[in-house]
Amino acid sequence: MTAETPTLGAATGPSASDRPASGVRRGGSLRGAGPRRSSDFLSAAGFIDVPTGEPGAMRPGALRGAAQGRDLDSLAHTLFLRIYPVIAVVVLVTQIGIAWVNYRDQLHLYTERADLMASLTAKAIAGPDWRSRPEIYRRPMEALTLDPAFRAATLRDAAGAVVMTLGEPKRGRSFEQITTQADLIAGPGDAPVGHLTLSISAEALRGNAEKQAILAVVTSLILMLAFVLTLHANVRRHVLSPLKRLLLAMREVEHKRWVPVELDGAFRASNEIDVISQAFNRMVDGLRSGDEAKQLLEQLEQAHQKLAQANHLVMESIGYARRIQSSVLPDRSALDGTGLDVAVLWEPLHLVGGDYFWLEEIDGLGILLVADCTGHGVPGAFLTLIVATALDRLIHERGLRDPAAILEALDGMVRTQLRQDGRGSESDDGLDCGLCVWDPAAAELRFAGAGSALTLIDGAAVTRIRGAKRGLGYPRRPGERFAAEETRLRVGPGMTFYLMTDGITDQMGGAGPARRLLGHRGVTEILGPHQGAPLAEQVTVLDAALAAYRGGESRRDDMTLVAFRPRVLPRAT
Amino acid sequence: MDRIQLAATDRSPRVDFDFATGHLSLHGESYPEDAAAFFGPLLQALRTYLADASPTPIVFEVGLAYFNSSSAKALMNLFMPLEDAAEEGRSITVRWRFADGDETIEEAGEDFAADFSYARFEMVREIV
Repeated sequence: MTAETPTLGAATGPSASDRPASGVRRGGSLRGAGPRRSSDFLSAAGFIDVPTGEPGAMRPGALRGAAQGRDLDSLAHTLFLRIYPVIAVVVLVTQIGIAWVNYRDQLHLYTERADLMASLTAKAIAGPDWRSRPEIYRRPMEALTLDPAFRAATLRDAAGAVVMTLGEPKRGRSFEQITTQADLIAGPGDAPVGHLTLSISAEALRGNAEKQAILAVVTSLILMLAFVLTLHANVRRHVLSPLKRLLLAMREVEHKRWVPVELDGAFRASNEIDVISQAFNRMVDGLRSGDEAKQLLEQLEQAHQKLAQANHLVMESIGYARRIQSSVLPDRSALDGTGLDVAVLWEPLHLVGGDYFWLEEIDGLGILLVADCTGHGVPGAFLTLIVATALDRLIHERGLRDPAAILEALDGMVRTQLRQDGRGSESDDGLDCGLCVWDPAAAELRFAGAGSALTLIDGAAVTRIRGAKRGLGYPRRPGERFAAEETRLRVGPGMTFYLMTDGITDQMGGAGPARRLLGHRGVTEILGPHQGAPLAEQVTVLDAALAAYRGGESRRDDMTLVAFRPRVLPRAT
Repeated sequence: MDRIQLAATDRSPRVDFDFATGHLSLHGESYPEDAAAFFGPLLQALRTYLADASPTPIVFEVGLAYFNSSSAKALMNLFMPLEDAAEEGRSITVRWRFADGDETIEEAGEDFAADFSYARFEMVREIV
């Protein structure tokens, strides 16, 4: 917005008296098209002056500004300048018109009076030989002088010779006198026997007319004063004050302070300013809620960004943790030397998890372990590291090769690590675990489980060998000990073994009343038809089938499955 | 004691422990991120309730379509004081509800049942 904007430019200009005599333009124009300040706007609109200005007193320069067709200082001044001249001219013209009509009427009356006086006197004088008898005409002529307006009278005979003259006929200007003439007629139908000329003064009339003219001017002045006072008071009260409140509120709103305009509790639907104020308040409400919504949105976006950042950090961190956990897991081909085909499905729910497996060839034996620690995600992963460390010590330091013995020792070590052995632990954690020791020389598989089972599919026959019911770890009642039982299996051709965590079987799926867990049988029904396929393919098929069974349901847990079968059976002994 | 009523969430079951009538129930699925935090207050309330030597028979209905191993442990912790109270002569019934054909939940119920000697443990097959 610039000062050159036509409407506002006119309003922003200072009144002529405020302007330096040199005529240098005001700073605002020199500053150029800078943003306008609210105070400029208020002062430009004349509102700054309103509270202090005398009612009716126009600011100096306002009229000059108006005369120049711009710089109208305020609404009141504009109204005054637009309306007052019209009213003043109308009043003046009316008064002068009335005075003129009055004057004409009076003049007419005076003329009639002069005519009457002249004709009456002429009648009284007229006679056959009035000229020779002065006693006849002297008295009526002298009677004329009694009139206060009398100026002059001249009596002439039929020949036009002056018989008698009274007064001074030529005094004053002609328009100040009324002159009339009457013929002296002795009888009806006779020729005039003389003439009477009468002049009376009209000075009184002129005085009246002057008085009336002065009265008209005075009236106009009084009217002007009254008009100015009334206009200013009313405009101030009914227009300027509400507008000023409106402008102040606008200034607040400009600074995003959502202040409504006070309506003084007297809203009138017929008052345009009240209606505007109300509309303004509605607009402020709208802006405020819009602004609040915008702010909330900004806050939300900020929060979202922070969350995204935090999530990114956490995911990065967990991604790193997954690399560590993955590196703890064994090479899938670790048991190649023992003649076992092995395929693994290891799928933590959240990148890392509580599922753990171990494959190792040692002393000609194959060790296969699948563990499901309580919890998943990072807490589960912590437990797997405890299990991994403990298992390593049991196999390598203590040289344990007996699956039941390994589980019992593992139970003790986990409980010691988690201080579940009566030292005031808060941990209520443990693990389900299935452990197989494969002896290729004897074609024998030894299994021990804790809360876990070994599944054997041999052709169409599915066998589930359940280990101990309880898992490892967990605080126990005093004296309670974990006891594992070992199962020995002679491995024949066509047998495939599966160690799996309950994340594999506990897949929620199915719609409506059929919604339930897939269960162990469901898993073996998936695997059964694919017994001829390579183990890696079975794992792929199973993974896809589990996803299909879940449908829209989310996975509930980490899942791990280790499938294995002898590649080349040793010669039976 | 005040009745405990919790609405089911997608990770925790609906809980209604009406101690006045002795009717306790869990329905839904249970795999809260922190099972100890969810079941801890329930176990505490149950222990307090059992500490009052009230003769009110207790029926504990458990109808869970899925529970993770932490919840299984927590259930075990809830069952143990009930079994202890039953041993002391209180009438305790655990009703284990499972959908017909859901072997996983049925087996889990059977495993729990094996731990009870004094309390009644009923397997309730729900035909749908």
